[in-house]
Amino acid sequence: MKELFFIIAGSVLVNNFVLSRFLGECPFLGVSRKLETAVSMGIATTFVLTMTSVATYFIQFYILEPFGLSRFLQIVSFILVIASLVQLVEMVILKTSPALYKALGIYLPLITTNCAVLGLALLIAIKRYNLIQSVAFGLGAGIGFTLAMALMAGIREEMEFADIPEALQGAAIVLITAGLLSMAFLGFSGLIPM
Amino acid sequence: MNQYARMIVVLLIFSVLSGAVLGFSYEIANPKIQEQAKKDLEASIKNVLPGITKYEQVEKEGITFYIGLDDQGNKKGIAFKATGQGFGGPIEMMVGYDPKEGKLTGLQILSMSETPGLGARIKEPAFTEQFKGKSVNDPFIPKKDVQVITGATISPAGVASGIKSALEKVTKIYPVGGDY
Amino acid sequence: MYQLVKDFFNGLWNENPTFRMIIGMCPTLAVTTAAMNGIAMGLATTFVLMFSSLLISLLRNFIPAKVRIPCYIIVIATFVTVVDLFMAGYFPAMYKILGLYIPLIVVNCIIMARAEAFASKVTPLRAIADALGMGIGFTWAITLIGAVRELMGSGTLFGYHVLSENATHWVIMLLPPGAFLTMGILLGIMNVITRKNVRDTQCH
Repeated sequence: MKELFFIIAGSVLVNNFVLSRFLGECPFLGVSRKLETAVSMGIATTFVLTMTSVATYFIQFYILEPFGLSRFLQIVSFILVIASLVQLVEMVILKTSPALYKALGIYLPLITTNCAVLGLALLIAIKRYNLIQSVAFGLGAGIGFTLAMALMAGIREEMEFADIPEALQGAAIVLITAGLLSMAFLGFSGLIPM
Repeated sequence: MNQYARMIVVLLIFSVLSGAVLGFSYEIANPKIQEQAKKDLEASIKNVLPGITKYEQVEKEGITFYIGLDDQGNKKGIAFKATGQGFGGPIEMMVGYDPKEGKLTGLQILSMSETPGLGARIKEPAFTEQFKGKSVNDPFIPKKDVQVITGATISPAGVASGIKSALEKVTKIYPVGGDY
Repeated sequence: MYQLVKDFFNGLWNENPTFRMIIGMCPTLAVTTAAMNGIAMGLATTFVLMFSSLLISLLRNFIPAKVRIPCYIIVIATFVTVVDLFMAGYFPAMYKILGLYIPLIVVNCIIMARAEAFASKVTPLRAIADALGMGIGFTWAITLIGAVRELMGSGTLFGYHVLSENATHWVIMLLPPGAFLTMGILLGIMNVITRKNVRDTQCH
């Protein structure tokens, strides 16, 4: 139990996917203008991350490794599984909950090219987590991603009214803000034995 | 050909070709990758056991030992891997041990994820050299027996405690002054 | 010919993936703790970009529109794995540094974006010119970021000491915040030079 807590807290705070592992930068910089959309994107990504952790666990440890294919088929199979999984999730949500689809639908296809998802799959294979640990890691990664998105969007909403030097307007100031956020998260390093 | 059949055929062709290319690349690159891993291992063993020219691999009680030999085949010491808990994750290291003298002969950090510029300086000879010639009965207390790095105490402490706990097991298998 | 030159130079400056389009941020920020890492990452990405663009352009009439994305993914992932294997075998030191970010070239938006927006619509020659321009544009940009971070963080440039031994090393530049800050400030400088602001990322 303690170990699972460490994995989740570690991936939310200490090694935040966005702010310290640099995974999932694209949506973090691109879809963080409004708090509401940022949080929706975060929830959709968390969903996919958790599903991916289960799927890639079985592929890595029950298909790729027993047959000795891990070294050269890992990347191809992971990315194809992620792409199909995202499609599947999209279809399931569309069938079961049109309201949820309306809220998350437009973000789902973008998640395939989110580094965080493939990064998670590869990290599970490197760290050799078991099934429960993998799910905890996926969930933690998703929560960490959502947290970073929400923080960034909250700041950007306030920044609309700030007097920013002309050259720094747009993406430049967002990156500098991300740097300050990342510095704050640096304070968590060493908090948990990894 | 109808549209769906064509889609499936195209995807199938892509997958088969991709598999073929990857299988072929693996055949070429894999021996090289294995060779590199072996070279790295050999270099680290020779680094922590100065003066050896070859080594023998021995498994004892679940630990892999590399017994270093010089030109004449004399045993010069034992190398083994140890793991310590650092600031950013586990620290993997190769330790050289001379049971005859009861001393360490060298230390090399194999992998770690410590802070660059601070904890990561445990890799530098300025830090690792101090373990050369240290008695295995040393208490390995950071700041007292082990010099730490300014601004980073956790990483050196991780190295020290990693070595100490590994030595506790190793000196039972290969006691000081005993034969090996 | 003129068209090819134009396609090539497009990626170097006007539509530079890093400073003008702001795409492919994950490797840009993650591996740039030293200038050499930037060159290695840039060349690995250029290799994948060139070969996947060429193949996608050659097969553009053969791939059915509905399954084009899975086809692109297979092509890109295959070339990335080839790079991954050969780098592990022949450049082990660099492979250890870049680690996880080599497989992640698959999801680098630059490659997918060029495949979808450019390579799948033009002749192979133009696709290669564009891929080469984009690849070199990406390489110089991340090498510059790497050089700034290396110089300030460890006082060296491509591993050679250039600042005096007594110069204070700004360790923060080597840590994650340094990546964001360097990228943000360089982007600001680029905005001043070009007198055009990048309002937002072109990722999606």
